Amino acid sequence: MTGHDLISSLVIVQLAAPATALAVIGLPALLGRPLDERTTTRLVGAGFAAGFLAAVSTLVILAARDFRPEIVDGVTWFAVGHHEATIHLVADALSVPYVCFTSGLIWLVNAFAGKYLHREPGFTRFFILLALFGTGMNLMVLADSIDVLFAGWECVGISSALLIGFFHERGNAVRAALRAFTTYRICDVGILVASVVIHRAVGSGDFDRVFGTNWPHGTCLVPATTATVICLLLVFAALGKTAQVPFSGWLPRAMEGPTPSSAIFYGALSIHAGAYVLLRCEALLDQAPLARAALIVIGSGTALHAAFVGKAQTDLKSMLAYASMTQASLILVEIGLGWRVIPLMHVIGHAIVRSLQILRSPSALHDRNELDAALGGHPGPGGLWPVSLMPARWQQAIYRVALDRGYEEMVIGRFIVGPVLRLLDAAATAEKRWIRWLSGESLGGER
Amino acid sequence: MTSILALETPRDWMLVAAAATVAAPLLGGGLAAAGVASRSPRLLVMVSSGISLVASLVIAGAWAVSDGTPVGFGEAIGDGRLVFIDGLTAALLPYVALISIAILLVAPRRSLDRAAVRRALLGLAATLAVFLTSHPLALIALWIATAQPTWRATRVTPGGRPAARVYAIYTTLAIACMAAGTLMLVADPPWERLSGMVGTTGGWLVAIAVMIRKGIVPFHSWYPALFSGAPMSTALAATMPQVASYTAVRLLVGHADGVAVELEVLAVLALVTAVYGAALALVQRDLRGFIGTFAMSQSAIVLAGLSGRLPMELNGAFCIWISSGLAITGIGLVTWALESRAGDISLETLQGRFWDAPELAAFFLLFGLAAIGLPGTLSFVADDLIVSGSLDDHLSAGLMVIGSTVLCGIAVMRCWFHVFGGPSPVDSPRHAILGREKVPLTILIGTLFVLGIWPGPLVQSLERAAEGVLRATGADGSTPDQPGPHGAVQDRLRHEIPDSRLHAP
Repeated sequence: MTGHDLISSLVIVQLAAPATALAVIGLPALLGRPLDERTTTRLVGAGFAAGFLAAVSTLVILAARDFRPEIVDGVTWFAVGHHEATIHLVADALSVPYVCFTSGLIWLVNAFAGKYLHREPGFTRFFILLALFGTGMNLMVLADSIDVLFAGWECVGISSALLIGFFHERGNAVRAALRAFTTYRICDVGILVASVVIHRAVGSGDFDRVFGTNWPHGTCLVPATTATVICLLLVFAALGKTAQVPFSGWLPRAMEGPTPSSAIFYGALSIHAGAYVLLRCEALLDQAPLARAALIVIGSGTALHAAFVGKAQTDLKSMLAYASMTQASLILVEIGLGWRVIPLMHVIGHAIVRSLQILRSPSALHDRNELDAALGGHPGPGGLWPVSLMPARWQQAIYRVALDRGYEEMVIGRFIVGPVLRLLDAAATAEKRWIRWLSGESLGGER
Repeated sequence: MTSILALETPRDWMLVAAAATVAAPLLGGGLAAAGVASRSPRLLVMVSSGISLVASLVIAGAWAVSDGTPVGFGEAIGDGRLVFIDGLTAALLPYVALISIAILLVAPRRSLDRAAVRRALLGLAATLAVFLTSHPLALIALWIATAQPTWRATRVTPGGRPAARVYAIYTTLAIACMAAGTLMLVADPPWERLSGMVGTTGGWLVAIAVMIRKGIVPFHSWYPALFSGAPMSTALAATMPQVASYTAVRLLVGHADGVAVELEVLAVLALVTAVYGAALALVQRDLRGFIGTFAMSQSAIVLAGLSGRLPMELNGAFCIWISSGLAITGIGLVTWALESRAGDISLETLQGRFWDAPELAAFFLLFGLAAIGLPGTLSFVADDLIVSGSLDDHLSAGLMVIGSTVLCGIAVMRCWFHVFGGPSPVDSPRHAILGREKVPLTILIGTLFVLGIWPGPLVQSLERAAEGVLRATGADGSTPDQPGPHGAVQDRLRHEIPDSRLHAP
């Protein structure tokens, strides 16, 4: 077996193991016979453990080969005429460390969630969605074409929204899930149109025809204008998943989901999916100064916004959400500045710390009470908050702005979403009036 | 006759199976009318539609092993034959039979009275017959035969008269346009001197008929109205087979080489309908309204794809035809099952139906995701084909399809969260999913996933069908005939399929 064959087999294991776990726990659940809790946890854990070990092995082999990228020609999904849908994957200095990190983290969180969600009515549903998320994440990370990347991206978005709405009996959780999904879906337009542009430019969705896949030293193979258009579209796509202004409103609400999924999605993996896509296309960004400038401007603005608003949050999970948003924004700024390895390290470091914080958050109040008891009183606020140096009137005004999340949602609701929905409502009402006029009475009745 | 009974060739098998496909529900309808099996109507519909499904699968199998030559039988006008089987027929017949059997299997007992069974089976026979013919005059007759049971079933439903009236107005107009247009084409063929104006008018009338029957803007209002006022089985059986799309394939497709202005206009309006329907689905206040507008949007994409000049575009349209049809049928059947437990379902507030029916919630979600392009389902393949196919000539069409898909995705998830999310009603019934609901829903969703994960055989078969449709009409450049001055339909009627390519008895 050659090195290429070995890497190919290991890469396929990284994808197939979690996908198999998904199928094995999903099918019985669909047929009304879900597996018991212990088997479910073990199967999902085994899937991601296998993926993690395969990724670590691949990393060792790649390191020994000076991180020379390997293109893995997967199966041809279907072929008609001159169109061939083949699942191309890539093992390189970006994808393999990232899969180690994603599979490892999901493996750990799976172990945590098995205990945390014990006897929860939606236990199996949680693990099905976790397995779908992990499979989608690995597919997205290992993708060597925009089409495969989009398939993974979709799985991440859908599982993410469904886990936010996991406690579906709570109205707030359902509304938060719908808000997140709507944001994702609107921003998906960016990646879909980018896919169309790439296909039109090079006749295929394969990345190796758009840029050299020698990460982080890839070379752009398309004209600068095309690269700029593609990058701007990918930046738009990334804004949703990375919760950048004006698409940031969903993130604090996303904490309505179970703590393990909040930790892994909004502290660690999902929130960095946009950054990953931009890092993957770094060679295009080099030729697209406009897109880089957009990243710096939006990233800096969102970082300031999130840091400012986060200070006024009254619950721990919202504070952590805004802290995540701040770091994700800074990562986008770093990518915009043309750095490559630093944002990757920032992603991994931030993800690990933030997941730990979110996983610990349910017991933080208990810890705080213990601390208060040990100290014999409340320790009081720590650090210097510059706003406290301002006049009291200003402090109140600033606090109100921060508490209203910078009026971002109010502005979008009043000037964009509201008018669009009113217009559609008017159209729907006009349709009903027309039908009523045509039929002489209103529709419906006993069926 | 001897050669048919001997069943020596795939063609013999196809002709016998075609007869069985239509005869079984026809006979079943007759038996229902005569009062036979009135105590076990479900058995009668299952046997009749089951025979149709098996026979249609025989046609698909025989087509797969044949040399790909279309099979024609009976009287001909132009290249329209009374019985006509090609790749498209072979792919769509099992699809129509499958959704029909699923609808009849899920139907609650109270929906299966003698008259309803008779209407359902006779409607099924007519619908299947549509997909077995390319004869223009037969198509006119079958349009009437398929519309009548729908109108009747809606009219006899309590509270359904307004919807029946709207349906009658639009369908009568469609049938009138179809009949007048086709007769004008037959009477004024373009190959004769001084012909032209009548034939051109006929072409446009057929196009308008297709638009009305497909619910294309501005003739779309009956589509959501039917879903709001008719029994779910009737609305699904009337819309999901897409009789008008089939008519468009047989009479209009393949002439987009600068001639078929009708088809170009149809495609533009279909794209507008796809986006408009998806946008309307976002603000619907009840579940039936959502399904009506969503189905209108999805079925419009099929017609948009049919305007393509490349086999891949047609292939994408055929795939969406099947995937959206299976998925929307699934959503409709889940809705029907929910309504039988909880009555009409509003989308204005969170309904909290998850704990009442968790299995139905799972099926609704899976069908919804399968309709909007979840990776691993047939609709993902279909979207890929239609967008990839539109890259060269119809980029704006591809972008509008993307827009429609995005809006549909939001609408589906909004609907799911509103129906199943929220606090559970205190007095809500707790009913487990029934076997007669679970089996067809599992088969439908299984079909969508199996065809999505392993799409090769289906898309290759549909590719052959698309090539056949384009080749038969010269749109792929293989036929040197000069297009006539009268529009697509005349050209289509003018063009005789050479005997070498058509098995005639």
